[in-house]
Amino acid sequence: MASAQLTDEELFSQLKRLGFTPGPVTENTRPVYLKKLKKLREEQQQRGSRVLKSRASTAVSTAVSIAAPRPSRHDVTQLSAIRKPGRKSSVLGFSSDESDAETPLKRKGLAKHRRITPCHQQLAGPTDKQNIAGTTLNLFSSPLDHHQSVHESSRHYDESGDEGEEEPESPHSVNGREVTGLNKTAGEYSDSDEDGVLSGDRERNLPEPRRSRTAAPISPSDNRDSQVKGKNSSPNPPGFRKMVRAEDEEVNGEEVDPFGGSQRYARKSIYVSLAEQRGAKAGKNHFDSEDGAARSNSGARFSVGLRPRFSGYSSPAQTHKGNHSNHSPPPNHAYSPTAPKKKLSVPEDELLLQFRREEPASSGSFSAHYLSMFLLTTACLFFLLLGLMYLRMRGSVEADGVIKRHPFGSEFDQSYVEEEKELILTLLLSLHNHLAVVAGQHDCGDPQHPNRSLSMNQSATYLQAQNQEFERFTLVALEWIIRTDQELGLRLLGEDPHVPVTDVSEISQLESTHPRMPFTCRLRKAFVTVGSKVVLVAAAAAMVWGVVRYLKFRWRRQEEETRQMYDMVERIIDVLRTHGEACQENQDLLPYLPIPHVRDSLVLPQDRKKMKKIWGRAVCFLSANESRIRTETQRIGGADFLVWRWIQPSLSCDKANPMPSKVWQGQAFPLDRRNSPPNSLTPCLKIRNMFDPVMEVGENWDLAIHEAILEKCSDNDGIVHIAVDKNSREGCVYVKCLTAEHSGKAFKALHGSWFDGKLVTVKYLRLDRYHQRFPQAQACSTPLKASSLRLSSTPSQQRASSAS
Amino acid sequence: MSSTSQKHKDFVAEPMGEKPVMALAGIGEVLGKRLEEKGFDKAYVVLGQFLVLKKDEELFRDWLKDTCGANAKQQGDCYGCLKEWVHGFMS
Repeated sequence: MASAQLTDEELFSQLKRLGFTPGPVTENTRPVYLKKLKKLREEQQQRGSRVLKSRASTAVSTAVSIAAPRPSRHDVTQLSAIRKPGRKSSVLGFSSDESDAETPLKRKGLAKHRRITPCHQQLAGPTDKQNIAGTTLNLFSSPLDHHQSVHESSRHYDESGDEGEEEPESPHSVNGREVTGLNKTAGEYSDSDEDGVLSGDRERNLPEPRRSRTAAPISPSDNRDSQVKGKNSSPNPPGFRKMVRAEDEEVNGEEVDPFGGSQRYARKSIYVSLAEQRGAKAGKNHFDSEDGAARSNSGARFSVGLRPRFSGYSSPAQTHKGNHSNHSPPPNHAYSPTAPKKKLSVPEDELLLQFRREEPASSGSFSAHYLSMFLLTTACLFFLLLGLMYLRMRGSVEADGVIKRHPFGSEFDQSYVEEEKELILTLLLSLHNHLAVVAGQHDCGDPQHPNRSLSMNQSATYLQAQNQEFERFTLVALEWIIRTDQELGLRLLGEDPHVPVTDVSEISQLESTHPRMPFTCRLRKAFVTVGSKVVLVAAAAAMVWGVVRYLKFRWRRQEEETRQMYDMVERIIDVLRTHGEACQENQDLLPYLPIPHVRDSLVLPQDRKKMKKIWGRAVCFLSANESRIRTETQRIGGADFLVWRWIQPSLSCDKANPMPSKVWQGQAFPLDRRNSPPNSLTPCLKIRNMFDPVMEVGENWDLAIHEAILEKCSDNDGIVHIAVDKNSREGCVYVKCLTAEHSGKAFKALHGSWFDGKLVTVKYLRLDRYHQRFPQAQACSTPLKASSLRLSSTPSQQRASSAS
Repeated sequence: MSSTSQKHKDFVAEPMGEKPVMALAGIGEVLGKRLEEKGFDKAYVVLGQFLVLKKDEELFRDWLKDTCGANAKQQGDCYGCLKEWVHGFMS
């Protein structure tokens, strides 16, 4: 560990500056203090403001510088040395919060690391970390450096205790890799994940310069670092930001950027806002004071891009963290402490992200909303207009003064002069209208017009009233009407309504075939018609629905009853069986049980009336279908009873078989507040992992389980029901106790014990759920006792030891 | 109140002398081996580290975790054990 690293004194002073008085920083305590410094910085950062931009950029640049100097996997010193300067430079120029870069970087790195792991699993590589890093490099250029460095960093952490360095490394490489992926699909991503692309792009750029420098690991990177350092020297946040920005752009400019500047600029805008948040968070992670800025910059950068994905992926990241830990414990150390810190920022990021995303969405939706409303109103208006027009048209169709067209044919035209024609036609028109009105009013129930039709005289009078000259042509017009075959809207009725009129003289009534009703009347009629139809339909539907419901209800009730009956049957069988077995052992008992007694013991008094029917059915069922129970009449105590006798030969022969060796093998951990609920919550327990259903042999292994539990809780006389779920893969056993206190005792006895080589866990179950599952347990109230008093299932000696 | 294990009780009952690191509560075979590999072969060396970290719980736990991969419970046990020992024999 050379000069470039944070020396002990520096670490010491950093810690002191943050208000914490550390002990001596030795080789052994170094990592611990580094972690502490990180954490303190993170806390500080959370309290401070967020300045992302500069951090992001610096972070990226730092990342670049950091990633570059890692040529060999085993060159830990070099790596750390190189890392330090890079970080230092970024830290120096960093904004007020020194701790900015580190946290996000770390977090990002971790998250990204994890996140990328699944994505890039397929990439070959000895370890996950290497894969992660390798992908980036493979995609971009130099393959091994990055992931080696990443791997180095993680390993680094463990071995050298230089944890701070590790974190930025991984994110860097990770980011680079991410960038790669992103860059490839920039088109897709740019819309949805601008930040990621942004950062990705930047990171891509960053690794490239680094890569170019990989050959000469230390010095160029140092130079670069110093460059960064120089650039970032001003402590003024905005100034720094600008500088970093400039540097960033310089970096970008250096590289061949397939994505082009436009993307970058677009991203930058988003970057700014997001970077703020990210950078602040990122910064917190950095713990080294000098290096903090650099790291935080890179972290921030990463975080900017990473955050959106980060938050989204935090859960898979976490799982991958688990995976990582499986692979190698040392790296796990690095991850686990930072993971919780990461988690803290994730929800904030998510919120931020959502907020930002919602904003553009809302503005768009506004216009969409207005548009839809507008369309809707337009449509409504249109239809309204249409309706009005239609109505108006209907009313106005006969308003023409001069009827140009007439149905009488050319003959009519020839025989009369123009004005005569007109007169006739007008006459007819007015007659037609009048008749229509009359008919309409009559139809509407207007008392003024009792008749639908007008007699000749009335028509003649009306026509005369209209126009004197009509009189001449009345008969002529009517004659023409008779002559024509077309439907005119006028009907001429003779004495006999059914005989068509052939001559004018026969006409006695005139009727309109197109009654014109006033508007309101029409509307009213329409409503009435429609309404009645709707009501009819609704009534029919309601009836059908009612019938269906009723049928369903009936069916369900029947099902319920059957279920209850079977349940009762089962309980009866249980009771009889236990009684039978008890009789086996105790010859004093009568081998049969009176039916009423069984009923009264199984059914609570208040339910007896309700269950009468079910009981009856159960009894019938038993007598018909159960072969192990025989119904007979016995005299008990002087009274005749119908009794049930259990006639299945007992299972004593099975008991003779050796029980599978299931023994309790000790307690795995002492139960304390941390791993058990403070007080027992319910009287029901669910015990897991007591057996493996596929491995179980023999017929009565569940009885062995029963025994084992009872023996383990031999001091607990409150267990009333045990049920072994034979089909559960988890090996579940359900236990019900008399009271919660008893179950608490049982819990303490069982939870965390080893049984048959498996670690048993217990949890509380809700009583109602338990009863749902095991209705027969509702009635159990007698404590169960282990059948064999010899404690065959507890080992003779046990040593409770903490997990070793 | 979490109960203490037998190991804990045994450890804090008497001066540790040359007890191996496995005698610490929370440190079993595996962890003990790891600690020994790192040079902490005796319980008093771990005590030394504990004291160097100024008996700070968090730091000690972190250190323990980093050094031998102890989980939270093991860390707690070890820390509690040492703390009580120190309280009993060094105050």
